[in-house]
Amino acid sequence: MPAFPLPNYNFLCMQLFPKCFTASLLASLLCGCEIIRPAPSAADPVKTIEVAIFEGGYGIDWHEKMARLYSEQHASDGIRIELWGDPRVVEKIKPRLLRRDPPEVVLVTGLPMWRLIADGKLYPIDSALDQPAYGDPEHRWRDLFIAGTLDTYRSGDNVYAIPSAFAAWSCWYSARLFREHGWTPPRTWSEFDALCDKIKRDGIAPLAFQGKYPFYAWYTYFSLVQRCGGLAAINRINALEPDAFSHPDAIRAATLLQDMAVHHFQRGALAMTHTESQLQFVNDQAAMIFCGIWLENEMKNTTPPDFEMRAFNVPAVEGGKGNPRLFNGQGSELFFVPAESRYPELALDFLRFLISPPYAPDIGSSIGIISPLKGAVPREALSPALQSVLDMMDVAPGIFQDRITSLLPEWLSQVLNPNLSSLMRGEISPEEFGRRLDAGVRQARHDPDLIIPPFVPFNPVEFGEPS
Amino acid sequence: MKRNRERSLFIVSFLAPAFILFTAFVAVPCVRALLYSLEKWDGFSEPKWVGYENFVLLFNESDIFLIALRHNLILIVAGATCITALSLFFAALLHRRVHGAGLFRVTFFFPNVISSVAISLLWVLLYSTTDFGVINGFLKWLAGGASQLRLPLQWLGRGDVTVDLPYPFVDSKHLIYAVIPMMVWAATGFYLVLFLAAMENIPETFYEAAVLDGASGVAQFFYITLPLIREVLTVGLVFLLIGCLKFFDPIWIMENQFPSKDSHVLATLLYQKVFSEYNVGYGSAVAVLLFVLVFLSTLITLRLSRREALEY
Repeated sequence: MPAFPLPNYNFLCMQLFPKCFTASLLASLLCGCEIIRPAPSAADPVKTIEVAIFEGGYGIDWHEKMARLYSEQHASDGIRIELWGDPRVVEKIKPRLLRRDPPEVVLVTGLPMWRLIADGKLYPIDSALDQPAYGDPEHRWRDLFIAGTLDTYRSGDNVYAIPSAFAAWSCWYSARLFREHGWTPPRTWSEFDALCDKIKRDGIAPLAFQGKYPFYAWYTYFSLVQRCGGLAAINRINALEPDAFSHPDAIRAATLLQDMAVHHFQRGALAMTHTESQLQFVNDQAAMIFCGIWLENEMKNTTPPDFEMRAFNVPAVEGGKGNPRLFNGQGSELFFVPAESRYPELALDFLRFLISPPYAPDIGSSIGIISPLKGAVPREALSPALQSVLDMMDVAPGIFQDRITSLLPEWLSQVLNPNLSSLMRGEISPEEFGRRLDAGVRQARHDPDLIIPPFVPFNPVEFGEPS
Repeated sequence: MKRNRERSLFIVSFLAPAFILFTAFVAVPCVRALLYSLEKWDGFSEPKWVGYENFVLLFNESDIFLIALRHNLILIVAGATCITALSLFFAALLHRRVHGAGLFRVTFFFPNVISSVAISLLWVLLYSTTDFGVINGFLKWLAGGASQLRLPLQWLGRGDVTVDLPYPFVDSKHLIYAVIPMMVWAATGFYLVLFLAAMENIPETFYEAAVLDGASGVAQFFYITLPLIREVLTVGLVFLLIGCLKFFDPIWIMENQFPSKDSHVLATLLYQKVFSEYNVGYGSAVAVLLFVLVFLSTLITLRLSRREALEY
């Protein structure tokens, strides 16, 4: 006699459980079918181009509008754009790349791009770049881009990323505050230093800084390296030369950065996030801030209406070899086409449409982006803040950019960031900073699996510098 | 016979789902993690077998692993000790029926109903170096509005120490110390409730007898309360050890997803290596060592506290 009443085993084990188990299995399989998209067939009446976008400060409203427009224009060809955005798009793309079912187009940061290029997981964009541009059939699409903006992920003769925005590094200030105090934007580093002292005497912090992200100082340092040593110094770093950071020009740049941080940063800046420090700037608690041209858009909800945000280029360094009109800039908001995309050529056609002269003014006025296409955005389509960036661009013979941080992501997080912090706190000398960065590069280069694409140096003469 | 077979099938059918789920989502990933730690893999291309190289790199390549481990140890030594001491102290006070005990219990437990992310953000605001920073505001008030605060530390054998204000508590350099008060604030309530529940099971007659014998409150705590809640205390210590070794959210939030060498703990190092730097092998090696540490420390704690259970 059992101690408890026995259930009807026969019913439970032989009938109910197998049925429940089969139902759960079927449900799981059906869910799986929903996850994996069907392979395309020639008989498909509609070709769906899936576009996945990182949903950051710029949002995806403009992209959605363009996707609708393209779908309408190509409805008769049976092409439909299915666009979605997500702040964590990278987490959603990774498994799809692994299971060889990626979207047709992705705008994403945080993937190991050089590894993907080396493994053949990205589709080269050159075939589209050599076609006539949308709205400007006289020119190849490639020829319309600002020189250098296609170089971020160029490997040999192939380009793997198309920028949808132009990014530049500059120093931002409040024109109203400057006017009220009689300050003027500096042209040389000595003037900049003197201006900071003057601002401090007037009771305002000269510089806000995004201290929780020491990487923000990298762009300023990199600009100073160019100002001190010219593009030759930039080439040494980009070529991963063994002692590039211990070169006297790089040491001088580190010294200037350290002096600026120790003497002119707002108190507590090293513990501030980017939004905290930028808020200090737009609330006149600090007079200037070094940042990319996304600053205005990023702070649009908290900037007082009477704030007159303007930019000036990183000042020239006295005795420096670099052309001070050049600036640290690059293509940004990069689009990629995965090699295993179902319709790569159609995807490229959509990108050619998206980043085209007829729609460049719209992206400028809608979301405050400077198009990477040369002169495609009329000044009136941009805010006064971005117009001041155009002023910099108008006189610049070109742009320079680093590639070391994308080639050596571990060096960036384990060596560069902590040492930038130490340098700015005054804990290490500029010479020690250079030694540590060089040692990190040497260590990284020991990795036999490190991918180093062919290096194309900047030509100093072409950019108005001595050879 | 048939009845027995049916009964076995019945048992198996109820155990199977849990077994399958545990195998699929716990056992297999654990074994995979161990295998990844012996491979060099970026998450996309073919993994390459490297044996124990990742473990050698942990100790040889740079000091970041040891620094992260040291930070975890700081959390254990400073954080866990404070939490244990405070929760025992407050639990003992509440147990002795202080006035308003119910209110205190709810108040202490309150941080436990807030997510760790919200708590971290709250403390970021408290520590902020901007005008919103409550703690820096208080320090500034103490300094009489000056930009420096003078701390007279002669009693510690040191001269006056001057602190620049606002003090950058959440600067990576100081972050590991700045999270300790937050940890204590957030966790004390849980352990208080845990210990209090154990204390409330102790028969009141023990205390009455002790009072008759003239035992002080402190003596009662050390000779009655503490020995009789030892098992629960051990469980609490194990929870705390595991929590300190797996500490992740506050560092991740306060460092805005970019912890540096100055602020890494093992879990953030693991995450950054795998998901930001795509060094899955190295990250898995950290995970394996973290597992070993958690396992060993739990074992040691249980071993040290193993004594014959007191029955009452």
